[in-house]
Amino acid sequence: MLPPATAMAEQVHFFHNVVLMPIITIISLFVLGLLVWVMVRFNSKANPTPKKFSHNTLLEVIWTGIPILILLVIALPSFDLLYKEDVVPDGKQVVAEADGATTEFIFENDFPQSRQVKRSSHLQVLISSPAGLRSLKYKEDYSVKGFGDPEVKVSLKSAPAMGEQVLIRGGRATQNGSNCAAFKRYFDICEKQVVLAPSMTLKVTGNQWNWNYAYPDFGDFDFFSNMQVEEKTTPEDFMFEVDNRIVVPVGETIRVTVTASDVIHAWAVPQFAIKIDAVPGRINEVWFNVEREGIYYGQCSELCGTRHSFMPIAVEVVSRQEFEIWINKQRALAGLEPMFQDDVKLAQIRADADKK
Amino acid sequence: MSDAHAAHADHDHQPPFFVRWFYSTNHKDIGTLYLILAIIAGIAGGAMSGLIRMELAEPGITFLTAFTDQNLPPEAQIVAASNFYNVLITYHGLMMIFFMVMPALIGGFGNWFVPIMIGAPDMAFPRMNNISFWLYVASGVLVTLSLLSPGYAQQLGFAGGWVLYPPLSSTVGSPGPAMDFLILAIHLAGASSILGAINFITTIFNMRAPGMTLHKMPLFVWSVLVTAFLLVLSLPVLAGAITMLLTDRNFGTAFFDSAQGGDPLLFQHLFWFFGHPEVYILILPGFGLISHIVSTFSKKPIFGYLGMAYAMVAIGFVGFIVWAHHMYTVGLSVNMKAYFVAATMVIAVPTGIKIFSWIATMWGGSIEFRTPMIWAIGFIFVFTLGGVTGVVLANAGVDHYMHDTYYVVAHFHYTMSLGAVFAIFAGWYYWFPKMTGKLYREWLGNLHFVFMFVGVNLVFFPQHFLGLQGMPRRIVDYPEAYTYWNQLSTIGYLVTAFGVVVFVVCMIDAFFFYRRKADANPWGVGATTLEWTLPSPPPFHQFNELPRFDTDDAKAF
Repeated sequence: MLPPATAMAEQVHFFHNVVLMPIITIISLFVLGLLVWVMVRFNSKANPTPKKFSHNTLLEVIWTGIPILILLVIALPSFDLLYKEDVVPDGKQVVAEADGATTEFIFENDFPQSRQVKRSSHLQVLISSPAGLRSLKYKEDYSVKGFGDPEVKVSLKSAPAMGEQVLIRGGRATQNGSNCAAFKRYFDICEKQVVLAPSMTLKVTGNQWNWNYAYPDFGDFDFFSNMQVEEKTTPEDFMFEVDNRIVVPVGETIRVTVTASDVIHAWAVPQFAIKIDAVPGRINEVWFNVEREGIYYGQCSELCGTRHSFMPIAVEVVSRQEFEIWINKQRALAGLEPMFQDDVKLAQIRADADKK
Repeated sequence: MSDAHAAHADHDHQPPFFVRWFYSTNHKDIGTLYLILAIIAGIAGGAMSGLIRMELAEPGITFLTAFTDQNLPPEAQIVAASNFYNVLITYHGLMMIFFMVMPALIGGFGNWFVPIMIGAPDMAFPRMNNISFWLYVASGVLVTLSLLSPGYAQQLGFAGGWVLYPPLSSTVGSPGPAMDFLILAIHLAGASSILGAINFITTIFNMRAPGMTLHKMPLFVWSVLVTAFLLVLSLPVLAGAITMLLTDRNFGTAFFDSAQGGDPLLFQHLFWFFGHPEVYILILPGFGLISHIVSTFSKKPIFGYLGMAYAMVAIGFVGFIVWAHHMYTVGLSVNMKAYFVAATMVIAVPTGIKIFSWIATMWGGSIEFRTPMIWAIGFIFVFTLGGVTGVVLANAGVDHYMHDTYYVVAHFHYTMSLGAVFAIFAGWYYWFPKMTGKLYREWLGNLHFVFMFVGVNLVFFPQHFLGLQGMPRRIVDYPEAYTYWNQLSTIGYLVTAFGVVVFVVCMIDAFFFYRRKADANPWGVGATTLEWTLPSPPPFHQFNELPRFDTDDAKAF
């Protein structure tokens, strides 16, 4: 499988590589071994007189029961994974300014009944200071009262300094933290972090034969994304590369809504373990949260006609700052005012635009 | 009257050629006709897969352009070649499913051996049997017409995949008449199969020899019985779906048009409510005949007969309640997906019972590696491989990665192209002496196996890796990263094609050069079912005196 780019895709890999693959390999080798054994041991030369038995109740119970147990071993993590993939995270972050004295902070537990913060693993407390983010440890650094109540009270052992911020993240959706060691991530034994609700929506429309992308949170603009011609790309990227990539910020949860204008297409990015059909008249929803900046490719994955093979998908994941610059640029192309203020960069863009 | 009847029933009395083969009501002759149809369709479908593999041998659209109008500019040739590729994958699938595997296993072997195995003189409705076959031929003609009429943008043939999903199959994606012909063809094929299924059910329930209870019935008959029920229950749903598509296309209805309040996903639900039982329709008769072959050449009765029979019933039943595992990415609610994950995995249990029971049948036996047995052992292994990847795909969480990639292509070809086809060849080599009265050179049959086994594994095993790399199915051209395994896969096709040549040589040799007459029972003590009590080939009318299973010395199968 292609290297995962999201914590979610990593869990898909874990389930496939650590649970499913070993099981199916062992079963296949077991059957192969049995076949070879009976061919060697019970061929007509080795065993001239056949036995006559045709029943063995114990054996039949065993080979019915053991597969059921194996399937249970598969099914439980499978359901866990499925619900994690399909339920869009609804985690919420509360930011409180520290004044050097206050140690008690309130987290409004205003989720629906089935999604409320009820356990310590549903809550994370971080301190934001000019030096960066540092996360606090439950029981060591803070205690919590009122899990499941409308208001959850977080008491810090020591008051954070003036100028620091207290970030409380709560929610049921969790995933491996980005600072977790590689081998721990591979075996999915990391401490989990709360995944926040989507910070933006990407609207995808499949057409014969290109994709259209819109960013409804950032203004009324959209653009088409066609496969890049061979001369403008490398042999490795040809058929993956597009003329206009999707750009999204790193480390944020992105909601993707997918539909189609003519026939059914499918929007897929294997490295996010996402594939969702674009069906005319329906809006399907998926989400992803990419940990590393980079460019990730996919291809249309539902037969949609003659040029089905040539409508790739390219997602460029950039820092928040670069994303905001890109949004300003897109808005400028659509004749809209800049949405984010960053004078230095904006001046740069204008200068670039003038050069062209 | 009784004299005339007796004369008519005389073994040597056969109608003249045209009456015999065109008006045929004889189950064995109809079976032979079905097998001939299956061989023709198999060669056609196999040739299509050859064109597919040749195109995919290298990145870039280089091969199929040779089949386009050479006067067109290069870009238009590429477009035409892409469309032709989609036409090829569509008709390859339809051809192999509806015109190769089903006619071979159900129409061919089913017609030939179900009546004989239950000790009946013929099918319950011989004339209906005749119309079943000729409807199939008419359906084949319509498919050919469809292939030769415009589909999309004046390109010949329907190019929307064998699943016929609207809107690609409605007037949006395929305005031309190719799709209408295809709908009518599938209607006729479906009607034919339903009539055939009714015939099998009636025959099996009413015409068993005295004393042959359901629980003494050979497993092949069991498998055809379950298959017949699946056909009767699932095909009307397909017929309904494609009728709705037909009216959507021609009479202004909007069942699948979301712009007018319809829903394209309704078609997918209806299609897969048929489509999933269909895959068991394709494989269950194979399960049945593999049981006989394994038992015959191990010289041992089938292990766990009742478990084997009811495992097939269970597979048939569960097969009806798992259809949406083909639709994990269409946007089903998560709870619905979770249900289909659970239901789908249940199928692994009865399938496991069958695999282990076959091995237990061999265990303690005295196995002779005759040609049919080699094919049967090959079948068990490749079907296991196809089965375990099915367990992987059953998990919706992983299927979001695998769906519509080559992993799926590898999975269903392991169960169908290796599983069902190996079962067909096993059955062919098993019953060939019975059907024709001739022996074949077994070393040629074994050589055929070696090339096929190596070839198809080389075709399809690398496709697992392509799927894991993320390569989508049904693309005519692919990025450079997927080149290596595709090349290997195409080499595998060439090996397979050579295996088919060996098969043809083996058959020509058997008919024209080897010319050894087969005994009533060429396989020895292990072959205990009724067909081996008749001469090879069996008389035109068999069982003038019915065999009895209600005596003390009757063999319970």
